[in-house]
Amino acid sequence: MTRTQLSKLLIVGLALPALFVPAGCLVYILFKGLPALSWSFIFSATEGTGFGASSGILAQLLGSLLLALAASLVATPFALGTAFYYRLYASPRQQRLLVGLLNMLQSIPPIVFGLFGLVVFVHFLQWGVSLLSGAVILALVILPMLVLNSIASLERIPREYTEAAQSLGLKHSAVIGRVWLGQAWPGILTGQLLAMARALSETAPILFTATVFSGVIWPTSIFSPVTTLQTHIFYLAQEGNNQEVTQIAWGSAVVLLAAVAGFSLLARRLSSWSDKARVITSEE
Amino acid sequence: MKIPQHKKIEPGLPQSCPRQVGLQIQGLSLALSGVAVLENIGLDLAKTGVTSLIGPSGAGKSTLLRCINGLHQDWQGQINLAGQDVRYWQGGWDQLRRHIGLIAQKPCVFPESIRANVTFGIQGWRQRRRANGLVEAVLQQAALWDEVSDRLMAPAETLSLGQQQRLCIARALAIKPGLLLLDEPTASLDTRSKLLIEQSIKSLAASIPVLCVTHDLDQAQRLGGDVVFMCEGKVIEQADCESFFQRPQRLESREFLSWNVCQC
Repeated sequence: MTRTQLSKLLIVGLALPALFVPAGCLVYILFKGLPALSWSFIFSATEGTGFGASSGILAQLLGSLLLALAASLVATPFALGTAFYYRLYASPRQQRLLVGLLNMLQSIPPIVFGLFGLVVFVHFLQWGVSLLSGAVILALVILPMLVLNSIASLERIPREYTEAAQSLGLKHSAVIGRVWLGQAWPGILTGQLLAMARALSETAPILFTATVFSGVIWPTSIFSPVTTLQTHIFYLAQEGNNQEVTQIAWGSAVVLLAAVAGFSLLARRLSSWSDKARVITSEE
Repeated sequence: MKIPQHKKIEPGLPQSCPRQVGLQIQGLSLALSGVAVLENIGLDLAKTGVTSLIGPSGAGKSTLLRCINGLHQDWQGQINLAGQDVRYWQGGWDQLRRHIGLIAQKPCVFPESIRANVTFGIQGWRQRRRANGLVEAVLQQAALWDEVSDRLMAPAETLSLGQQQRLCIARALAIKPGLLLLDEPTASLDTRSKLLIEQSIKSLAASIPVLCVTHDLDQAQRLGGDVVFMCEGKVIEQADCESFFQRPQRLESREFLSWNVCQC
């Protein structure tokens, strides 16, 4: 065996597990969860009895989506504000500092955010275990991702567009609104969808701040707790000996995966559509 | 990139600008990153006609246009437009730029329709919607109307480079500027587009002053009017086209015309 063949074998040997192990996980989850899926399982919402074994997951699914949407709505104005500050006013040193800080925030373990939310929002601000507490803490989790994505979207706008708009005497606000936001919105929206997918997959930050396992179907106000798929799976998984309950947990996992994958796929479609439009522009 | 903010506004100066404006530059100097790019520039532009700005690469021609337009603002000296110091223009640089059309070397059209590009600089969406007459007029002035009249809603990126450059000229004309600045508007364009744009510049110059940066000496002669020769950030000679090309007064000008090099 030549050295080239040996190195190729080594690279393939390292790459294959990285592909097949996650793929295997996915197949296993589908294998275990798909039999649990039914119309009534997904589209009925009854208060769980027997650790959720007898109930549908509509309330949990909508709770997860509601939290992700609320987190995105809370985080977006701050993310855009930070991105515009970065692009318009920050000195190169401030820009480096800001990016460093955002990267550091991204690496904070989610459970630490959960603990922070419990102390500050639930107890200190007395928002209780609620939709509001969960949305704000999830917003903090996805904020760095949203800011970095918004910065990247703004930086992709050709400098010539800004100068061309300025040359026409457009006001500062018009340049931002008509040129920057006008050009960057597909990228910003893509980031929103990815951030919502991330929010959907977070469990630790909302475990102590937003969710309860039983006693609630729909939140009646922003100060009501919610039930979510993530925490539903978490609680059900603790009843590992009960086959029926475990089956429900697998089914819930498949639905959660589908929701996350849905957001990610939508983001990818939007991103490739905007890239195509950009390529056409630059080719002409 | 940062959007420059106007710092000084002196109240009392008229906000409107006459259709025809003269441009006077005195003692204009600019340093970028500690390097002098423009040194003591003096220039007068008549109220109508073309002035070609020629010189070797790095002479500061494009930078001068950016100073006049306020894209560079840290210069020393004075730039007067219609007798008013541009630093104290009421409404700031944005308002000033509404009187100065600037066409870049590389055509830059927004990824919108041809019509939306023409009306991009018009303030107010109602005014933009009702600007059909203006759209036709400026596209005709830019010698583009015949080619796009039947597809105004088509994406502007579908036009050829030459057509895009003429669209940029039409877009600049739609804000009814009193002065038009062109930065090598025909560089890398085919001969037909070049001639169409030159024709358009000449007809525009009948009503407003046009300052056109060009590397093409034949083009400067075809455009006529005045010629300003710049080298290493200084104005070396300003004369009418015929005098400059027939009887250049300065040694540097003669060298440049003979060998296209300048040793200032």
